[in-house]
Amino acid sequence: MATMDALQPGAQPGVLIANLRYARRGEVARFLRADLVFNGVDHGGLSYEVRVFLNVPTATGATPRDPTKGYAGRFVVFGHGGCFGELGHCDVPSVRRDPTDLRPGHPLVPQTKIVTITTALERLLDKRGTLETVALVPWVYNGFRRKNGCKPGVFKMSDVTLRTYG
Amino acid sequence: MAIRPSVEGMTAEQLVALRDAWTKSQALVDDRGFGYWAGVHGLPLPISCRHSPRTQNDFLFLPWHRAYLYFFERSLQDRNKAAAVPWWDWTSDGSHTRGIPEAFDTKKIGKVRNPLREARVAISPDDVKRVRAQAPGTITPGKVPYTRRDPDIPDELPRKATIDSVLAAPTFEDFSTRVENVHNAVHGWVGGTMTLVPVAAYDPIFWAHHAAIDRVWYLWQMSPFGVDPPAAMMDTVLDPFPMTVRQTLNINNLGYDYAVEVIH
Repeated sequence: MATMDALQPGAQPGVLIANLRYARRGEVARFLRADLVFNGVDHGGLSYEVRVFLNVPTATGATPRDPTKGYAGRFVVFGHGGCFGELGHCDVPSVRRDPTDLRPGHPLVPQTKIVTITTALERLLDKRGTLETVALVPWVYNGFRRKNGCKPGVFKMSDVTLRTYG
Repeated sequence: MAIRPSVEGMTAEQLVALRDAWTKSQALVDDRGFGYWAGVHGLPLPISCRHSPRTQNDFLFLPWHRAYLYFFERSLQDRNKAAAVPWWDWTSDGSHTRGIPEAFDTKKIGKVRNPLREARVAISPDDVKRVRAQAPGTITPGKVPYTRRDPDIPDELPRKATIDSVLAAPTFEDFSTRVENVHNAVHGWVGGTMTLVPVAAYDPIFWAHHAAIDRVWYLWQMSPFGVDPPAAMMDTVLDPFPMTVRQTLNINNLGYDYAVEVIH
């Protein structure tokens, strides 16, 4: 697992690098499925996607989404675009432990996003044997498409984990 | 039984009925009209739509939007009985060539504005200010804000292989997560108003997009992988609609289908 605080800056402002090491054990891949699980993903601002590249620490917003060159997929966040209430309206309360509190959770409770990277990880392991880094390239969607791009500060999460299933 | 056609497969009569219902709905400014229904999703507050889970057993994205479409479609049928919300096949050759389907893109029908191309964003002046300040470009400038689009290149729309992969999801939670990601990507693809939760439903293409999402769920339900949502969420009420998750599971009980023909 890599927490947000442990991520390294990438080749462009906004790009983040997670050091998630995974090596093949034996001749055959020991997993049927591999997921990158992103916890605590913020969706309170503009919409954005996060492109995932395996062992491409130089990835930027201009890097082609080519599966043969490390691109593993993306997740997309449908954003709320900021707060539309009064002061405190969009403050997410901590998890309620009162069993009689039947209200639904706050709309801005951080989300969990999953990118299934089974094929991409198998391809990489076949070539190089070891996953070293996961580059996360956020791509922000503005109302005006010409202003879309890789920008810092929009993508926030708590941690990312590689999960494999046997 | 209402049959929801694909946008590209609509007959001339179906399109006329849809435009008629939509025009009449947009003209109503009370809680029967388009502005009211679009606002249920986001602004004016409260933002009622449900997307990714907020707690465990809270995968309400699919059932909530099925209920939403159901009530909206019924409101359209109050204006024109023959109206049915069509589904936008983002994977079709037509979509990958021209992008937004013609029925939702044509500016005028004769001398009349096409009600499927844009709509007034019926929110308060304060909310208009906030949307413009916090997310420039999501609504038009001017005294009366309208929806706007800024689509990506057509070939960036989802492909059939992606939907096939979604349809192979082995659990409801997995399916919901995968299909929601496709859903989010199309919101971003359309651009403009569709990129923002609080105003997205004001764009008429929102409804054809969500009918397509609903249809993918229907196809998955019928597939060998299709299973019901977890038992713990079956009796959850899909606020503000007086409908539970369980009541959304059989679309025929809701009076519609995606089949080309239904033989009784």
